[in-house]
Amino acid sequence: MSSVPLQAYLIVALILFCIGLFGALTKRNTIIVLICIELMLNAVNLNLVAFSKFGASANITGQVFSLFTITIAAAEVAVGMAILIAFYRNKRTVNIDEMNTLKE
Amino acid sequence: MSGEVIVFLLLSSTAILGGILMLNLKKVIHMLLAVVLTFLSLAGLYVMLSAEFVAAVQILIYSGAVTIVMIFGIMLTKHQAKEEKNKNPLRTTLVGLGIVVFFVTIYLAIRNLYFGQEATALHVNNTEQIGIKIFSYYVIPFELVSIVLLVALMGAVVLAKGEEGDEK
Amino acid sequence: MIDYAWLVPVIPFLSFFILILFRTKMQKTSGLVATIFSGLTLIYAIVIFGQLIKRQTYLAEWQWLTIGTVDISFGVLLNPLNGLMLLLVAFVSFLIHLYSIGYMDGDKRTSVFFAYLGLFTAAMLGLVMSPNLLQFYMFWELVGLGSFLLIGFYFYKNSAKKAAKKAFIMTRIGDMGLLIGLILLFWQTNSFRFADISEVILAGQMESGMITLIAILILIGAIGKSGQFPLHTWLPDAMEGPTPVSALIHAATMVAAGIYLIAVMYPLYMASNVALAIVASVGAFTALYAATIGLVQDDIKQVLAYSTISQLGYMLLAMGVLGYTAGIFHLFTHAFFKALLFLAAGAVIHAVHTQNIKQMGGLSKKMKVTSVTFLIGALAISGFPLLSGFFSKEEILAAVWANGQYGLFVIAILAAFLTSLYMFRLFFLVFEGESKKTIDKIQPTPITMKIPMIVLAFFAIFSGYLNTSWFETYLADWLASGATFLSTHHHETPLWLFFVTILLSVGGIVLAYFIYGKKRINQEDWKSSFPGVHTLLKNKYYIDEFYQLTFVKATNAIGTFFTYVEKYIIQLCMTFVKDVVQSLSKTGTKTQTGQTQTYGAVAFLGLVLIVAFYVLKGGY
Repeated sequence: MSSVPLQAYLIVALILFCIGLFGALTKRNTIIVLICIELMLNAVNLNLVAFSKFGASANITGQVFSLFTITIAAAEVAVGMAILIAFYRNKRTVNIDEMNTLKE
Repeated sequence: MSGEVIVFLLLSSTAILGGILMLNLKKVIHMLLAVVLTFLSLAGLYVMLSAEFVAAVQILIYSGAVTIVMIFGIMLTKHQAKEEKNKNPLRTTLVGLGIVVFFVTIYLAIRNLYFGQEATALHVNNTEQIGIKIFSYYVIPFELVSIVLLVALMGAVVLAKGEEGDEK
Repeated sequence: MIDYAWLVPVIPFLSFFILILFRTKMQKTSGLVATIFSGLTLIYAIVIFGQLIKRQTYLAEWQWLTIGTVDISFGVLLNPLNGLMLLLVAFVSFLIHLYSIGYMDGDKRTSVFFAYLGLFTAAMLGLVMSPNLLQFYMFWELVGLGSFLLIGFYFYKNSAKKAAKKAFIMTRIGDMGLLIGLILLFWQTNSFRFADISEVILAGQMESGMITLIAILILIGAIGKSGQFPLHTWLPDAMEGPTPVSALIHAATMVAAGIYLIAVMYPLYMASNVALAIVASVGAFTALYAATIGLVQDDIKQVLAYSTISQLGYMLLAMGVLGYTAGIFHLFTHAFFKALLFLAAGAVIHAVHTQNIKQMGGLSKKMKVTSVTFLIGALAISGFPLLSGFFSKEEILAAVWANGQYGLFVIAILAAFLTSLYMFRLFFLVFEGESKKTIDKIQPTPITMKIPMIVLAFFAIFSGYLNTSWFETYLADWLASGATFLSTHHHETPLWLFFVTILLSVGGIVLAYFIYGKKRINQEDWKSSFPGVHTLLKNKYYIDEFYQLTFVKATNAIGTFFTYVEKYIIQLCMTFVKDVVQSLSKTGTKTQTGQTQTYGAVAFLGLVLIVAFYVLKGGY
C-alpha cells in the first residue's frame, strides 16, 4: 500500500497543466509555446499513469496509453518544429504575434 | 513521514519548480533546460507509480529527443532568442484569473477522489506486461501510431525542406 | 382488371408526361398520340365499368400518412356514381381529343394543348375515383390547374390571360369554403373517408348546426367550381379558351364536379334541411338568372356558357329537393348535349372565324352535319319530347313538384321555357335566315371533328332512355343501389307534367321561330319598350362591374395601404435592424485579430466560465 494518495499526483499534474496552459496562452516565442504544450501533455501523462495505479479499474492499460500519448507528442513536436522553421524562413521571426494570417 | 512521501515531495517540487522557472527565465535556451528538469522529475514520479518502462521512455523521448529537436529549432531560428515583454497585459491578467478559477474548480473536483483500489502487481515484469498488452490487445492502435509517426516524419521533411528555388 | 383501376388516371397522365417532355418533337403526332392514350383510357374505363355492374362497389386503399392515431389513406373507390362519372369523363374526353385533332390543326403549340388535356383528364378521373375528401381535394385543385392552363392557352391574348386569372381566383374563393368545410369535417369525424363521414352523420353524432355550417361551406366550393351565382362570372370568361376545352372542361366534366361534390357529400345535406333549402334556392335562382342573360348575348360561346350555368343550376336545384338521381341523370345527359353544342359551335367558329352570331346566318345549307347535330343538341337541351334532355328535365321538375317547393317549381318551368327560347334564338340566327356578306369563305369541317359530333348527337338523343318511367329506370335504380342513405322514394310523375314540359319546350321554340326565324315579331320593338331590362341583361346584371367596384377596388385599396405600410414602417424597422447588425459586425471584425493565443484564451475563459458555473450550482 502506497502512502502517497492519488490526489497528490493529480494535484501535481493539475499544477503542471495550469503552468503549461498559462505559458501557451501568454508566451510570445513560438518555441516556448510548443514547449508549454508538451508540458500540458506531460501533465496528462502523469494522470494516466496515476490512474493506472490507483484508478477505478487499475491495470496496465493506463501505462500503455501514456506510451501512445508520448508517441503522438513526439510526432507533434516534429511537425510543429518543421512548421516553425518554414515560418521562420518566410518571416524571419518566431514571434507568435506575427502569425495572424487567420484573420485574412 | 515515510521515505516515499519525502521522495514524492522532492520530485514534485522540482517538477513544479522547473515549470515556474520556465515561465520566468529570460533566455529561451534556459527555459528549455528548466523544462528538462520537469521532465526528469516526472520520470521519477513514474517510477514511484511503478511505471518503470514509461519512465525510461519519458527520459529517452522527452529529455532526449524532444529537447534536442527544440534546441535545433532554436539554433536554426534565433540563437540569442529572448522572451520579449508581453504587449497584451489585459489578456495575461484575464488568462491568469481564468487559470486560478480553473485550478480551484478542478481542485474541488479531485480533492476527495478515491477509488479504493490499487494495482499492486504493476512493477512485476513491467515491460513484459506492457508488451503483452500492446501486442495482444492494442495491435491496431499500435500500427496506426506507427503510420502517424511515418506521416509526421514525411510531413516534417516536406515542410522544413522549403520550396524549390529557395535561397537556402 | 378492376384491381388495377388506379391505372385509369395514370394513362392520361402518362400522355401528359410524354407530350410535355417531347413537345417540340411531337408537334405533328401529338394529337394522334394523345387520342390513342385517351382511347386506351376509355377502353379501360369501359372494362372496369362492365365489371362494376356486377359487383357494385370496389374499394382499394393504401396507407399514406399516419398522424397520431389517424391514418390518412389514398386509394380508389368505385361505386355506381363514381363508375358513371368515370365512364362519362373518359368518354367525353376521348371524343374531345379526337375533335381537337381537327380543331387545333395548324396551331403552333398543339402538343402542349394535348398535354394539358391529358393532365386535366387524369386529374378529373382521379377526382371521381377518390375514396376520401383529402384526395378529392387534391384532384379538385388539380382540375382547377388544368382548367387555368387551358383557359390561358392563348396567353398572348390579354383577354385570355385575364380570363384564366379570373377563373383561378374565383374558384379559389370557392375552394377556401371547401377547405374550411373539409377541415371542420375532419375535426368532427376524425376521418377524411367518405364512408366514415357518412357513417358518423347517419349515426347522428354531429350537431345539426355544425352539419349545416359544413354543408354550406362545401356548397360554396361547389358554387365556385360549378359557376353558380354569385361566383359564376368566371365561367363565361373562361370561353376564351379553345372551344374543345370549353366543351370538355366548362360544359361536360369539371363544372359538373361541383354537382358531383354535392352528390358524394349527400348524407351531409340530407341531414340538414336548411342546407338543402339553400342548395335548391341557389340552383333555382342561378338557373333563371343565367337563362335571362343567355337571351341577349351575341357571342355564340357566351350564350352556351350561360346556358351551362343555367343547366348546372338545374342540377343543383334537383339536388336541393332530394332529387339525387334526377340531378345526376341530368348531369349525365347534359354532358352529352352540351358537349355536342359546344363542338358544333366550335365547328361553326372554325368555319367562319367569328363568334358573333349577328354576323352569321344561313349556315345550314353550307354546313349540313353541323347544323343537324346542333339542332339535335338544341332540341335536347330544350327538353323536346323523346330526346334525352326531355327525360332528365322532366325528372327534375317532378322532383321539385314532389318536394312541394311550388315557388321553385315556377322558377324552374320559367327557366325551362327561357332555355328553349335562347337556344333556338341561337339556332335561327346562326343557321337560318340569309347569309351575311361578311362571311364568304367557309372552311370545311374535317372528318375528325364530325365524328365526335355525330357520336354525341346519338347520345344526346338516346341517353335519356336509360332512365325513363316509360321503360325502366335503370340508371336511377343503379345509382340508388350505390347510395344506401337515400330513402328510395320513386315519385310517379304526374301526367300533366309531361304536357307542361312539352308545352314549355315547344312554346319556346315557336316563340323563337317567330322572333328570329320569321321575324314576325320585331325584336327592336321589344328592346325599345323595355330599354332598362335589355341593357341590364346585356351587361349581365352588372355583376362583373359590381365586383370590380367593391372587391377589386377594396383589395386594391388595401394593397395600396399596405404598400405604404411596407414603405414607411417596415422598411424603417428593417433599416434600423440592418444598421444595428452592421455596426455590431463592424465591432465584431475588430475582435478578429488573427492572434491564435487570443482565440485560445477566449475559448479557455469560456470553458472556465462553464465549469465554474457547474461548480457553483453544485453539479459534478
